Amino acid sequence: MPNPVIELHHVRKSFVAPGGESVPVLDIDAFALDAGEQCALEGHSGSGKSTLLNVISGIMRPDAGSVCVAGHDIARFDEASCDRVRADTLGLVFQQFNLLPGFTALENVLVAMSFGSARPDRRRAVDLLSAVGLAHRLDHKPAELSIGQQQRAAVARALANRPRAVLADEPTASIDTRHQQQVIDLLRDSCHAEGAALLVVTHDPLVAEQFPRRLRLEDFNRAARVEPPTARPA
Amino acid sequence: MTLFGIAWRNIRQRLLTSGLTALSLALGVALVVATLVTGRIVNRAFDSGSGLGYNMIVGAKGSPLQLVLNSVYLISKPIENVSWGFYEEFLPATARADGVDGKYAASTRTAVPICMGDYFRGHRVVGTNAAFFDRLTRGDGRPFEFAAGGNFGDDDFFGGVLGAGVAANLGLKVGDAFSPTHGADDGAVHDPFRVVGILARTDTPLDRGVFVNMEGFYLQDGHAKPLPEGEAAATSPRPSGNVPLPFNQREVTAILLETASLPGLPAELTAMGLRTAINEGRDGQAALPVAEIRQLLDLFVRPLELLLLLVTALVVLVSAIGILVSMVGSSLERSRDVAIMRALGARRGHVLATVLIEAILLAAGGGLAGWLLGHLLVGAIGPWITTNAGVTASVFSAAPLAEALLVPLLVVLAIVASLLPAIAAYRTDVAKWL
Repeated sequence: MPNPVIELHHVRKSFVAPGGESVPVLDIDAFALDAGEQCALEGHSGSGKSTLLNVISGIMRPDAGSVCVAGHDIARFDEASCDRVRADTLGLVFQQFNLLPGFTALENVLVAMSFGSARPDRRRAVDLLSAVGLAHRLDHKPAELSIGQQQRAAVARALANRPRAVLADEPTASIDTRHQQQVIDLLRDSCHAEGAALLVVTHDPLVAEQFPRRLRLEDFNRAARVEPPTARPA
Repeated sequence: MTLFGIAWRNIRQRLLTSGLTALSLALGVALVVATLVTGRIVNRAFDSGSGLGYNMIVGAKGSPLQLVLNSVYLISKPIENVSWGFYEEFLPATARADGVDGKYAASTRTAVPICMGDYFRGHRVVGTNAAFFDRLTRGDGRPFEFAAGGNFGDDDFFGGVLGAGVAANLGLKVGDAFSPTHGADDGAVHDPFRVVGILARTDTPLDRGVFVNMEGFYLQDGHAKPLPEGEAAATSPRPSGNVPLPFNQREVTAILLETASLPGLPAELTAMGLRTAINEGRDGQAALPVAEIRQLLDLFVRPLELLLLLVTALVVLVSAIGILVSMVGSSLERSRDVAIMRALGARRGHVLATVLIEAILLAAGGGLAGWLLGHLLVGAIGPWITTNAGVTASVFSAAPLAEALLVPLLVVLAIVASLLPAIAAYRTDVAKWL
């Protein structure tokens, strides 16, 4: 019996191009990610991969359709409620890692915890960082960590609030081939250990082929079948 | 991690900028505190003139304010002297050589003469009689208290009493001898007096006065008025064997008067009548210290104080603008951080609160440091204030109400100043910055 943690129905999202015309970016009839499922989502540059993640995480609001995250249709929620759902049920991993530069690795995890419903749990933060091999780097700031260590800290941070799903946007795009495999293994193993679903957006077939489910965005996003011009959000 | 912790971490991340912002705020607050405290000290010192045990000062004709400043606050220069005969007009028959009531005796309860013009190591020497400490009060209505020894007797011609500040500054104690100088610190050295008492601290100009028996004062070189032609120097030895200066060779610098009520007249009317009578005569003038000081405060001190306060308030305002600039810079630098936090689930309210907490921490930290610095400043310039204004100022001097309001006001100002950057952070476009 499927138990989707993320479910999209009839989602449409357009941007306004500099000339003023509306450019559709997302036009998706249906998309679902089941609990604990691990899925790679491929797509060419500009196909709407990042927009899709922003819509799922509630950072962007769709023009139409429903976006259910852990049973909540966040497309109908106000912004604060979206923020709350994102903090409690989703973990985000970014291409540039996006660790807070003034905070240590441990504090980066604790900051993420402070926005969730549960009380920040220092012990869990230490355990998460230890699990990704950063037990000896807890008090190091991002600038004092290697690229690989930064990405591991970002993975630990994404798991801080026991999310139902982790959304990773090109997590291997900024790192070398040797570290790419480590990051994919780490993401998959960590999400598996935490029972979180994993949706990885990538343009790299070598990354995508390691996932049990592999989708091309163009296959279910009608708007991605034509490469859009440079546009800005509507 | 709490929002407070996040705000504190943000401050530490920009330690130099945050530190300089807090420092500029601290300097502004220090100036305000120093101005408030000094203003209060000066006001209190002048206000204390209302509890001295006398309500009128009689002296030579001239500026009534100068007469008051010189006689009460031991600053400015004496105008001139008045004759001993004029002083005797305030004495009852029992205190006069001729056994007749003085012209103003009925309106006078107490008349204490003072003679000035000598100095002892930077401090004014005041020649007076024992009634100064026996009959007058210390500024707050309470009788004088002695930290050591006691008052000089009228027959102890060379006895002296030191203000608490003088004894502390010069390290003198009861039994020590001291020799005033004539007219200035480098003037001719007079015969020595002996310390018989040290006043308890009064926090008034009296703390820096040197009080000697006027009989000894009169006997110093240059203090006797030349005899009028044809008059004899009439005097006789006291029981102690000391020979006082003849009355017709004496002058006094001022007479401190406590007026009495004439039968059927309220005390105020008696005082006004006496003042008018004296001022219409040719011998001298009468000044009301409370009225003179109130006029001085209203016309000069308070406007000046207000101006200073205005300037220092502007300094604080500029410092608050410094917070605004710092926070705007911080917000621009941290747009990406804000977007990251928002992506992690921070609500706009969290972001707004973090910026406001940061501003409050800067304002409270800078404000408290400034408050401390202001008191240290008052402590540092205290000796200068004491020397030049005749009032005691120390690190512990305070203007409690104004000071209690200062830091909360500053925090409110900081919140207002940081609203703009806080709103900018609140409006950060998450998708754009990630």
